[in-house]
Parts: sequence; C-alpha cells; structure tokens
Amino acid sequence: MMRVAQWVSSGAGVVRCVAVFACAAFALSCSNSPYPDRDDDVKILYSVYGEAPKTLDPAVSYNVSSSRIISAICETLLEYHYLKRPYELIPGLAAAIPEPVERADGTVAYPFALREGAMYQDDPAFELGEVGRKTRPVVTADYLFALKRLADPAVNSPVAHIFSKIVGLHAFGERLVERRKEPSFAALPLHEQYEAVGPVEGLVAQGDYAFEVVIDAPYPQMLYWFAMPFTTAVPWEAIAYYDGNEGRPRFADHPVGAGPFRMTHYDKQFRIVLERNPNWYGAMYPEWKAPGAVYPAEGEPADLEKGITSDALAGRQLPFLDRVEFRREKESIPVFNKFLQGYYDKSGINKESFDKVMDGNQLSEDMAAMGIQLDRVVDLAIYYIAFNQADETLGAPAGERGKKLRQAMSLAIDAEEYIELFHNGRGIPAQSVLPPGLFGYDADYRNAYREPDLARARALLEEAGYPEGVDSETGSPLKLRFDTYATNSAQLIPIRYLVDSWRKLGLDVEVESTTYNKFQEKVFNKAHQIFQWGWVADYPDPENFLFLLSSGMAGPGGPNSSNYRNPEYDALFDAMKARPNDEVRAETIREMLSLLEEERVWIELLYRESFVLFHDWISHYKPPGFEFSTLKYQDIDAQARAEWRRENNKPVLWPAYVLLAISIAVIVPGIVTLIRERQ
Amino acid sequence: MLAYVIRRLSYGGVVVLGVLFFLFVVFFWVATPDDIARRALGEKAPPEAIEQWKINHGYDRPLWPWQSLEDNMLFSHYESMLTFDFGRSDADDVPILEKIRTGAGPSLALTVPMFLLGLPLSVMLSLVVAVFRETYVDRMGVVLCVLGMSVSILLYIIGAQFLIAKLLRWFPISGFDPSPQVVMRFLSLPILVGIVSSIGSNVRFYRTVFLEEVHRDFVRTARAKGCGEARIMARHVLRNAMIPILTQVVIAIPFLFTGSLVLESFFGIPGLGALTVEAIQGNDFATLRTMVFVGALLFVVAQVLTDVSYSLADPRVRLE
Repeated sequence: MMRVAQWVSSGAGVVRCVAVFACAAFALSCSNSPYPDRDDDVKILYSVYGEAPKTLDPAVSYNVSSSRIISAICETLLEYHYLKRPYELIPGLAAAIPEPVERADGTVAYPFALREGAMYQDDPAFELGEVGRKTRPVVTADYLFALKRLADPAVNSPVAHIFSKIVGLHAFGERLVERRKEPSFAALPLHEQYEAVGPVEGLVAQGDYAFEVVIDAPYPQMLYWFAMPFTTAVPWEAIAYYDGNEGRPRFADHPVGAGPFRMTHYDKQFRIVLERNPNWYGAMYPEWKAPGAVYPAEGEPADLEKGITSDALAGRQLPFLDRVEFRREKESIPVFNKFLQGYYDKSGINKESFDKVMDGNQLSEDMAAMGIQLDRVVDLAIYYIAFNQADETLGAPAGERGKKLRQAMSLAIDAEEYIELFHNGRGIPAQSVLPPGLFGYDADYRNAYREPDLARARALLEEAGYPEGVDSETGSPLKLRFDTYATNSAQLIPIRYLVDSWRKLGLDVEVESTTYNKFQEKVFNKAHQIFQWGWVADYPDPENFLFLLSSGMAGPGGPNSSNYRNPEYDALFDAMKARPNDEVRAETIREMLSLLEEERVWIELLYRESFVLFHDWISHYKPPGFEFSTLKYQDIDAQARAEWRRENNKPVLWPAYVLLAISIAVIVPGIVTLIRERQ
Repeated sequence: MLAYVIRRLSYGGVVVLGVLFFLFVVFFWVATPDDIARRALGEKAPPEAIEQWKINHGYDRPLWPWQSLEDNMLFSHYESMLTFDFGRSDADDVPILEKIRTGAGPSLALTVPMFLLGLPLSVMLSLVVAVFRETYVDRMGVVLCVLGMSVSILLYIIGAQFLIAKLLRWFPISGFDPSPQVVMRFLSLPILVGIVSSIGSNVRFYRTVFLEEVHRDFVRTARAKGCGEARIMARHVLRNAMIPILTQVVIAIPFLFTGSLVLESFFGIPGLGALTVEAIQGNDFATLRTMVFVGALLFVVAQVLTDVSYSLADPRVRLE
C-alpha cells in the first residue's frame, strides 16, 4: 500500500495515472455507435430530422418533419392506402369513408361514424376529467373541439381558411374574438369558452360516436383534409393540462393522441422517441381487422416482386416496430456517413455522394455489396419558373407581345440538361402543372413550348417586337429581372444557368438577390418579375395544383404568386374542382392545361424524383410520393442489423498504438532526464 | 480589496445597464413587436393571432416611459432581465430559462474538459519549447504552432469527422446523448478537436511569456545556485509568468458556460452555443437578447475575477 502511495505521489506516478486513466477512458468510449448497446436487439427505426419542430400541435403544424411525428401519434379519421397508386383513401378512426350528401340549399354534409371503443394513449391530463383516470374513449366532442380550434384566431391554424367552408365556423371564430374582450371570459379554459360561444351550424353531433360536417358548397377534396393531422381528435383535457405552467409542457410540445405510437421522450434539440401505443385501436381490437390496423393485401404489381406484398404479410397486425427514434442532424454529410455505418436505416443521397452511390442509373456495386437497396419515387410536386402577370413587360398588361416573349423564354430552357446538371438527373422534365400520380396526368402529353428550340424562340421573340433582345419600338435592349432569395453561390449557379439560356436569345436578365423577407415583400407588393418556385401536394388531387393559377388564389399573400387572372381558366377550374374523377373532369383538365400551355404563365421545370436508400434489414418499405405516415407498416430485423453493425464498425486501432508508441518514445526520455536531474 | 471589487462591480453594472438599453433599442425599437410577431407566426398570420401573440409575450404595451410611466416595455425589459425572468422564446414559446438550464449541461460537458485538459497541455508544451529555446525543437514548435493557428477550425472538424470518426471508427461522427453510458462517445471527438485547434495559439502565446521570464535575473540566480532546469521552469518561470496566463485563463472560465458556437453546431451538441446560433438563424430575438445579456454579465464578472486573481497570484499586486 505504501509503495502504491509513493508511486502515485511521485511525479512519474501522476503521469502514469493520467496515462492509465486516459487509456481506460479511450478504451471505454472507443466506439462509433451513437446508441446504447442495450438497444441493439430492439426493433427501433432510427430516423433523422433537421430543424427542431416549432410545434407539434396538430392544428398548427404544417411542415414535413413535424407532420411525420404528429401523424404517428394522432390517428386521423381517414388515411391513405399504404401501397395503392394512384393514392386511395381508407378509413382510419372513422368506421367508413363518408358519402357526401348534397342538400337542397347547396350545402354538402359529410356524416362520420367513429369506431366505438377507440381510446387515447395513457396520459396524466385525463385526470382532469376524473381522478385516477389515465385514458378515455375518443368521442364526437373531441372532433368538434378540434375543428373549432382551427377557427380560433388565437390558435393561428394555417388552414383556417380551408375549414371556413364549414357552415358557421368562421362566424364562430369572430364571436370568440368578440367575447374574449371580456377578461372573465378570456380566463375560462378553452373548451368552456367554445361552449359558451355557442354551437357551429355545420358541426352537428349525433351522439357520442357520430357527427356531421356541413360545408357551404360542393368541395370533394374536403375528404383529404380528414386524412391530415389538422382534423385529428383533440381531448380538451390535454389543452387545459398542458399549458406550459408549473413545469408542465405546452400542448405544442406534448401531443396526446390515439395513434399507433405515443411520444415518450421529447428533447427537440436532439432526440424524439415514439413508442408503440398499447391503447391504439389496432392493438386493442385486433379482431376488428380494420383497414388501417392490418397490413394490406393489395398493392401495385411491382410490390409483389419486391416482396412488399405477400400472402404471409396480408392481414398481419400493425405496427411492427417497437420504437421510432428521431435524432437531430443539421448537416447532410454526417447523416449519410452514419447511414453507411448502419446507424440510420434510411437516407437520401446528397449531391456530394451521388457519384459514389450511383453507377449510371443503378446503385453502385459497392453499395449493393453493403446490402443497401434503392427505391425511387416521383414526388407529388412541381418546380417551375413563373412570370408575374401584373408586370408591364412580361405580364397581362403587355398583351400578345408579353405572351410571345414568355413563349420564347420557355423554349430557351432545357429542363433535361437542368436536371442533369443540378439534380444529378433526379427528376423528370415537367410538361404541365400536374405531376405523375395525379388524375389528369398524361405521360404522353407534350407541351409545345417545353422542348428547347432556339430557332423558334428567336422567331417568337421577333414577333413579340424584341429581335435579338432589342425593343424594336425604343431601340434599346430589353432588361428583365429574375427575383430570388438565393444568396450563396451554390444556390445562384442554377439561376445563372437559366439566365445564360435566355442570353442565347439576346435577352438581358439581371439576377436580383435579396433576403427571403424582402423577396416575400416584393411578391406581396407584386413588384417581382421572374421567379422560381415550387409546390408540394397537400393531397393527391389535381385541384391542389390547378388552384395555384386560379384568380381566387391571387392577391397579397395568396398562393397564386404569378397573379394570373383568366376568367376562362377560372370557369374551367370551378367546373373541374367539384367533379369526381370521370372523363368530363379529365377533358376539363386537358382544356385547362392547353390554355396554360399557350399562356406560358409558368415555365414548368421538373417533377422531382426522390431516391431513397435503405438497408436490407428494413422490410416492406415503400416510399410515399407525398407526406403521410407509413411508420406503422415498416419492419426491422434488429438482429441482422446488430450483426451488420458489429461486423462493419470495428474500430481501427493500430494508429492509436502507433501514436502511443511515438508519445512514449518522446516523453519517456524526458521523464528519465528529469528524474536523473532531480537525483 | 473589497472596496476595489465593489467599485469594479458597479462600473460593470453600468456597462450591463448600457448593454440592456442597446438590446432594447435593437430588439424592440428597430425591430418592432409587430415584426417579431410576424416572424414568429408567419407573414400570413391574422391580425388577431398577432395581437394575441403580443399579449402572451408582453409586447403589447407602449415602448417608452413617456408613453406610459406605469406600464411600459423599457422598464419591464430591465426588470425581467435583472431578475433573470427572461420570458419565453419568440420561436417556440418555451421559457428561455428552461432552455438555458437544459443547454448549460451539454455546453459545460464539452467546454470544461476541453479547458481542463487543454490548459495544462498547452502550458506543458510551451515550457518544453521554452526549455529548448533557440534549438530545432523550438523552431519546429513555432512552425507547428503557426501552422495550427492558420488552419480554420472548420477544417479540423471536417478532418476529424472524416479521419477519426469515419475511417478509424473511434467515435460517432456527430450527435449527443446525455446518458452516462454513451455521453463520452459523443464528447471525445469535439473535445479533441477543441484542444488541438486551440493548442497552436496557446503554446505560441505562453512560449512568448515564458521566454520573457527565462532571461530574468532571478532565473540566472536560481541556475547559479544549482537549480535544475525543470525546477527552474516549474517553480520560478511558471509562477512569475502567471499574470499574463491568468489574464487569458480566468476571463475564459465564465464563458465555459456559454459553450462553443462552432463545435456545438457541427457536432450536434444541444448546448448554449448551438442555442445562440439557432436563435440567430430562427429570428428568435427573445433568446438572442438573453444570450447577449448573459454574455455581457459574464464578461463583467470575468473582468473582476481576473483582477482578483492577479492579487492572489502575485502579492505585489494590490487592488485599491
């Protein structure tokens, strides 16, 4: 003991202690696994998110990363079939898809019947209703409460305008604002305020498990909104309990739902964990075999080949996963590297790694050897260049001259080259406003102005009175402006490519780059000229794309940023939007597209194609083309994953030993000299 | 000394009050509460939602005392900051004190080991270089220091992530998990990068300080008395070089709390450095002004601590 003490107290001893401690700490922490070893054999899907969610309130959240989480926690009335394309609605918490009933006064009623016995996840909030209660059934009142929240200006739902179609809902919001001027009313809990303000004409309770939603005019797309988290049931107890006071989180950070998963850990800065919800109706009542609670039997023909559908899978109870872990990653390169190390189960392909991952149109041999698989899906989205129709030179005030100028500019853009250069070929040149996968999309349709043809473009430019880009009336060169909020060179290069394409016609287009706020201000004030924009579908219906060019959506803040107003187009749009998917609707869409083809309000650029990489321990994964939750259908072979990780992540330790040897070779003579000197 | 400390603290108090006024002008007068609400809720937010948001955050009152003496935002800004009641984040409504509380742990877990390992290592290396002054070891040391200083920390980060995390697989590339079983896995690499990236400038600075002391008379006397070189360096040179070292070291201690902006952001560590970067990116003015205020406060405290440490390190220094 004495010798140890002496050894430790000597200078050399201290150095050795530190060295031993450092080596031990190094050996213990030497692993590149970001997860605790005890999770190795658990069915956990590891996923990433970039931006910390601002809110998980289903009435407010309107972005992809939050929606993925909310839709796994909150069960919707309707949902999308996992495998069928075109996308098809199936019942969720609703017992069946409601048949709309058109009434004599022009209103349309959607009668919903709920699954009796569906329960919320366990949560302390339910003690507010009854002491000791952990959960309760999902009832009509929860849906009416949730729909009223959408109209509450204090909630600030981004889709309030959509739901103002419900008869009396907008007026309810106005009454609420008025009553809140009384401090005693404003102090009441939210559900009591709603009750005191009075009923909404278009929300009719029909007992605890049925209700009717009445909208003011036919709007068949309304059903899709019931497949989104905005309309999920919200228990009043959760809103009252999770108020952000006395250490309780806000409801926006603690959603309470009746979905297949429940949130068990929420640290939005780095980790969000969902676990299987034992109270989910699919788990509680497997005998129901509800369409949203079992694996589907039908899909596309290709699904059978890929093993996504099979007799063995059909009808199996969902969900397969025990847990879903979302880890925050701000940069794309670490995500991809961790995917290659097996620590994330899926990944996109970042631009930097594209050549390494892909060999032409196929997955590279290296990737295939690692057991990585590739799936592609064309997103329900369009990216385009648009002309502000309020502009004097390029827009409607310029009449035929402006139209010919737009047509010429459209003919100068080679979308195929653009996709190859800036998207590694991941995309399809767009021919119309409608992407593949939607009713009305025609793969054989060819837009007369979307194949590059410089000779025709020059001729059109001459007809427009701008030969070689010079205004024949004034004799001075035509100056145009491309407004953008891209500020760094990587974002500006694709814009420079477009500008260079127009330069080939002699057109001088100047890029005006500003902050996003400034850009929005320009759009708001109609002070923009040419700009680039995109639209991702909310739901799989052509109306969700064609409305972008309707007059009703023009004006400050509206999604018709091109300010296109055409009564003929509007009439066709009105006729199309309320029709079912039949030949008349298809014909109307064709007419609308042919109108847009001539008008050239947009230069349709591309339909983006997402490449999804995933390891072969994930089974039956089919990427959706737009955002809806598929977590409950995915499965993981945790043992195979753990084995793969162990095999492929053995630390390379020889450089550490070399370093150690060099350090000893340098330090030991010094220590020896020091000891000798002391002696 | 007490009188000196009180005097310095009161000067510091004036500085903090000035910083608070500057923050008020920038964050409430230049960027008006309506702007802040619109940034938080989105451009399309209805006026009712904007009004409600302003009420919830206390931004609905007059700005200046001459508009309303009893209830104005200037006084409540001073009151809330000076009582450490920082209110709620503009971006996500979470209490800022809670954000600071949760961010402080990861920040300290990164910066304290970096400081405790980096400082002795830098001092030790500088002493070695000073012992071998004007030899090839010294010259090589200076070249390496200049080289180390010239390389951007971003290159260190990317290089370490590629070499150590990806190729050698010693540590995770990035991320964080506070559970004791795995936390060191996440912190080892950023700590290593933090130490290596700062070692060049530190060694060069300490070397200069030590070399200045090495040529002093008392060193020559100690050597004449037969003192060994190691003892001279450790006992005589190091002690007498403490004032400039303390100037650099003590002022850094309070800032360990605020974390490292770059390391936290690139390694995905949810500390106060990353919180500040995100507040800037997300227009979260409430969090941003709190972090600036906390920074100013820590600076004032650090200044006083540095002065006090002088008198403790060198009996000739008297604080009057």
